[in-house]
Amino acid sequence: MRRTAFSSYHPIVNFTYFAAVLVFAMLFMHPVFQAVALVSALVNSVLLNGRRAVRFNLRFLLPLFVLMAVVNPAFSHAGVTILFYLRDGNPVTLESILYGIAASCAYATVIVWFSCYNAVMTSDKFIYLFGRIMPALSLILSMVLRFVPRYRQQVKAISDAQKCVGRDVTQGNPLRRARNGIRILSVMTTWALENAIETADAMKSRGYGLPNRTSFSIYRFDGRDRNAFAAMAGLIGVVLLGAAFGENGIRYFPSVHVKHASPFGVAVYAAYFMLCMLPAAIQIVEELKWKSIASKN
Amino acid sequence: MRRQPLTDRRLTRRTLLAAALILVVIPATMLLGIFALNDRKYLFVSLLIVLYTMIPFALVFERRKPQARELIVIAVLAAIAVAGRAAFFMLPEFKPVVAIVIIAGVCFGGEAGFLVGAASGFVSNFFFGQGPWTPWQMFCFGIIGFIAGVLYKKGWLKRSRISLCVFGGLSTLVVYGGIINIGSVMMFDPVLTKEALLASYASGFWFDSVHAVATVLFLFFLSRPMIEKLDRTKVKYGLIEP
Repeated sequence: MRRTAFSSYHPIVNFTYFAAVLVFAMLFMHPVFQAVALVSALVNSVLLNGRRAVRFNLRFLLPLFVLMAVVNPAFSHAGVTILFYLRDGNPVTLESILYGIAASCAYATVIVWFSCYNAVMTSDKFIYLFGRIMPALSLILSMVLRFVPRYRQQVKAISDAQKCVGRDVTQGNPLRRARNGIRILSVMTTWALENAIETADAMKSRGYGLPNRTSFSIYRFDGRDRNAFAAMAGLIGVVLLGAAFGENGIRYFPSVHVKHASPFGVAVYAAYFMLCMLPAAIQIVEELKWKSIASKN
Repeated sequence: MRRQPLTDRRLTRRTLLAAALILVVIPATMLLGIFALNDRKYLFVSLLIVLYTMIPFALVFERRKPQARELIVIAVLAAIAVAGRAAFFMLPEFKPVVAIVIIAGVCFGGEAGFLVGAASGFVSNFFFGQGPWTPWQMFCFGIIGFIAGVLYKKGWLKRSRISLCVFGGLSTLVVYGGIINIGSVMMFDPVLTKEALLASYASGFWFDSVHAVATVLFLFFLSRPMIEKLDRTKVKYGLIEP
């Protein structure tokens, strides 16, 4: 995972951004909006995840996209423009084909946005954000995240110890091996529970439950975050205004109907494009800045 | 003696909140989906509804300021479930999460069962990748833990191996499979039709069967030692059932 400019912003900026683009990608089915969202999601995922993202998009997403677009007309027979009839007598309509493409496009966009989300919103950011609202639950989450790698190490230690007395999962006949495996897990569970109680007592003696808790990661909401947040809020406002005036929607059934693009509609498209491209734009500006201040000799 | 009325109030508050959500907020969301969003936004509406169902548990749990010991036992069980899912990652659908969640529900009550399930669904996707499926998995795992806890309290679910295995297999096949397939229809198919749902159940049947068999196997081998260990911890350190 590369460290990008956008992920260095305050978690609230990251989270609001992803909440907005994910909800918008699920809601707005207008072709222009879908194209904008899909293209920007792909651009952002490549910027964030590099070559891995390209491979994932081509190998996994493209076949899924095609499959979903093909499946819809086979199940849905709504719409007035009948193209031909299937062998079982059901009609295949233009509307359901177009809708299938649109819906699979929306799904693909959501998946790509989530891959960006996974790269930017690390678990400590999530816990930082929700630690104030749900302290107990976010503490559980952070403990589970810590325990998983720790248990892996402990299983390794236990199985090494068992190996010394000939009771590892690699020793003996299959039945013996399975029994050894269960014994290792049993040792592990007992250790985990005992250790957990000790941790809980340590937490209590160090003042767990008292007010004014601090977080592991400290984020400061500075001027840069304020500007990014204000820009984002403004763009989200314009897009929502567009939604209120019906600029972002499309009707597929019974016949396809799109509102003609008005000047205001074009402004809404532009706002949505800027919103979706925000992380990419921040990244490019950062890189230009870096190049311009780097020593030339 | 003072504990009892407290417990009663807690239950009714959750029930009231859940009732308000089910009777007012969920229909309102569906109407919003039908009228404001032209009734084609199943993915969005269904995700909202699944998230609503988890809110009462979160609110009640936060409000009663749980003790460190209680938190950490839930975290340990969820971590075991996540590590177990990670250990068997090469076998699709062969995961021990439901088994651990049922054991948690039986030993520590329905609320703990729900939290272990939801937490392990959420955290395991930090390792496997978050997506629109996360809330569905959280809900399915959680609700099985909750049902196990409630049925155990009612006396319909016993601690015996047979009883747990039967419940585990059925709940994985019916509850988990039943809900998660609706979720995948909402995610993958743009229109919710009976045919698409049936196709999803048919194509998901073998995966759900493998999952159910895995749950039964894990419960068969794990239930007795796990329950013994949890009970021993409860007695040794005086953990009270929440």
